[in-house]
Amino acid sequence: MNQSDIAGALPAPLGQRCSTAFFRLVGTPLGAVATIVVVAVTTLALLAPLIAPYDPVGISLDQKLLPPSLHHLMGTDQAGRDVFSRVLWGGRISLSISVLAAAIGVFCGVVLGVLAGFYGGSLLDHLIMRFMDFLASIPLLVWAIAMVGAIGVGPVNLGVVSIGNEGKIILLVGFLYTPSIARVAYGAALVEAQADYVRARRVQGAGSLTLMFDEILPNCLSPLIVQATIYISIGIVVEASLSFVGLGVQPPTASWGAMLSDAFNYVLSGEWWLPFFPGLAISISVIGINLLGDALRDLLDPRGQAGRVIV
Amino acid sequence: MTEFILRRMVFSAVVLVVISILIFVMMRLIPGSPAVVAYGADVTKEQIQEFEHNHGLDQPVPLQYLRWISGVMLRGDFGKSFVTDRPISPEVAHAFSVTLELVVWGFGLTIGLAVPLGIISATRSGGLLDHVSRLFAVVGVSVPGFWLGLMLIVYGAVRLRWFPAGGIVPPSQGLFQHLWSLLLPALSLGIYYMAIISRMMRSTLLEALSQDYVRTARAMGLSPRRVLVYALKNALIPVVSVSAMAIGFMFGSAIVIEQVFDIGGISHSLLSAIFQRDYNTVQAVVLIITAIFVLSNMIADILYGCLNPKISFVRQR
Repeated sequence: MNQSDIAGALPAPLGQRCSTAFFRLVGTPLGAVATIVVVAVTTLALLAPLIAPYDPVGISLDQKLLPPSLHHLMGTDQAGRDVFSRVLWGGRISLSISVLAAAIGVFCGVVLGVLAGFYGGSLLDHLIMRFMDFLASIPLLVWAIAMVGAIGVGPVNLGVVSIGNEGKIILLVGFLYTPSIARVAYGAALVEAQADYVRARRVQGAGSLTLMFDEILPNCLSPLIVQATIYISIGIVVEASLSFVGLGVQPPTASWGAMLSDAFNYVLSGEWWLPFFPGLAISISVIGINLLGDALRDLLDPRGQAGRVIV
Repeated sequence: MTEFILRRMVFSAVVLVVISILIFVMMRLIPGSPAVVAYGADVTKEQIQEFEHNHGLDQPVPLQYLRWISGVMLRGDFGKSFVTDRPISPEVAHAFSVTLELVVWGFGLTIGLAVPLGIISATRSGGLLDHVSRLFAVVGVSVPGFWLGLMLIVYGAVRLRWFPAGGIVPPSQGLFQHLWSLLLPALSLGIYYMAIISRMMRSTLLEALSQDYVRTARAMGLSPRRVLVYALKNALIPVVSVSAMAIGFMFGSAIVIEQVFDIGGISHSLLSAIFQRDYNTVQAVVLIITAIFVLSNMIADILYGCLNPKISFVRQR
């Protein structure tokens, strides 16, 4: 049996499957709407330096607390900063924190989950998965608050690198995401590890690492993509909550949560635009990402391997 | 069955023990003596020694832990605050009762609205109300509860003046006013699970209604109401289980909601303790919330296992 004989029995290359999946995604109404919202939000955040009409941290005290107008689409805040510009720049921070936290969660979760699944039933499997069960049973938001609170909001110096508060949130939240990603990866890897194509590659002399991450992992991706999408949307809310209670992004840096924290002082005096627009940005992004998650679930994970997510 | 429940309980107990160790060690790893927090930067060496001796901090950490955890388990005593030097338990207990009331309200509101909404949505599938409730399910899980709270204050309290702005009216000023002032916080706290439960109620009931036994019951001429009751019995199983989980979740998110509505519950205890670096109080609050979370998840699992006749307990793995 040579390479071309087995090629027909193998799934299509990953790149090709991804592009097919993308076209099927935007082919459904739900998927199309979700994709448009997510692409729009991401583009606005990425292009903030080009689009934002004002400096997000530029203080002008003669312009403070102005309601929305043509000059300031979303009004100005207590320091005369343009809320629209801050929402755009804040999106960069909020979205990068949530995307990077999800990335860390996926990376750690995949490594641990695939490892445990590949050696299913072994001591390593039990050690990893019991630890994951443990981590999964602690409430994310409370522990994120407690852990940031314990470390303190100032930068942490680790020799050459200094980790700011954004970095701490990313690492901690990513760490707390790990167990449920690991469970999903584990479930998929456990099944795939017994598949014929894996045995075939093993007989051909492929090493364990190759089998795990070259062969098994690409075939476990579907539920993982769905799970990662959901975690990005949760990350936005977690960042907002942490910043709102003063343990997240610190002033004067704009993030959606930090803006809501500032706005809190003006809720009773009726400056509605201060809390309204950052929260609207959060809601639109989260709705978009959640819909994308739903559409991806219908498409990639109809059996529902990716679990429900509880913050 | 009993084996399953026992195993689940043992797991939760182990998790709680490990968590208590983790919290304790985490709080001891924080650099600097708590005496510096209590006395300020110009604390003398003698003061530090005396402070650490008074709070038992000069003992080895495992011994400190055993003392602490036995106090917690046997007497419900969480030790003394590093900052005020007063016992923690009475203050935390009071804060906890405030939060508990909010959670009970939020939970009642969630179930009271979400379950009927889901049932109507499923029985009139495709109707206007179904579309509205499905839209609500998408928006409800996405809108952060605390932002909803902020906007409810802006419109409901400041603009329309229907609700008191900020803070809770104490029960001594009238029970109705008290409960009315809790409505907006309860709504903000409940919105997330309201969306989840209504969506779940809808899908589980739709699934139940499409089963053979329902068709048989209909064919036998049972009234639609009786048929619905039969289907509901099965459809409610996952909903009950998720509702139990919702309680644990609500205690966690109450931290942010209470901050918005200026309610002096566990949120106030936790955050002020964090900012004052009063670690003894932090570890007490985190342990309590985590314990509630772990227990409510355990109850959710056990309920799901016990109520669902399809799950058999013949040697899983």
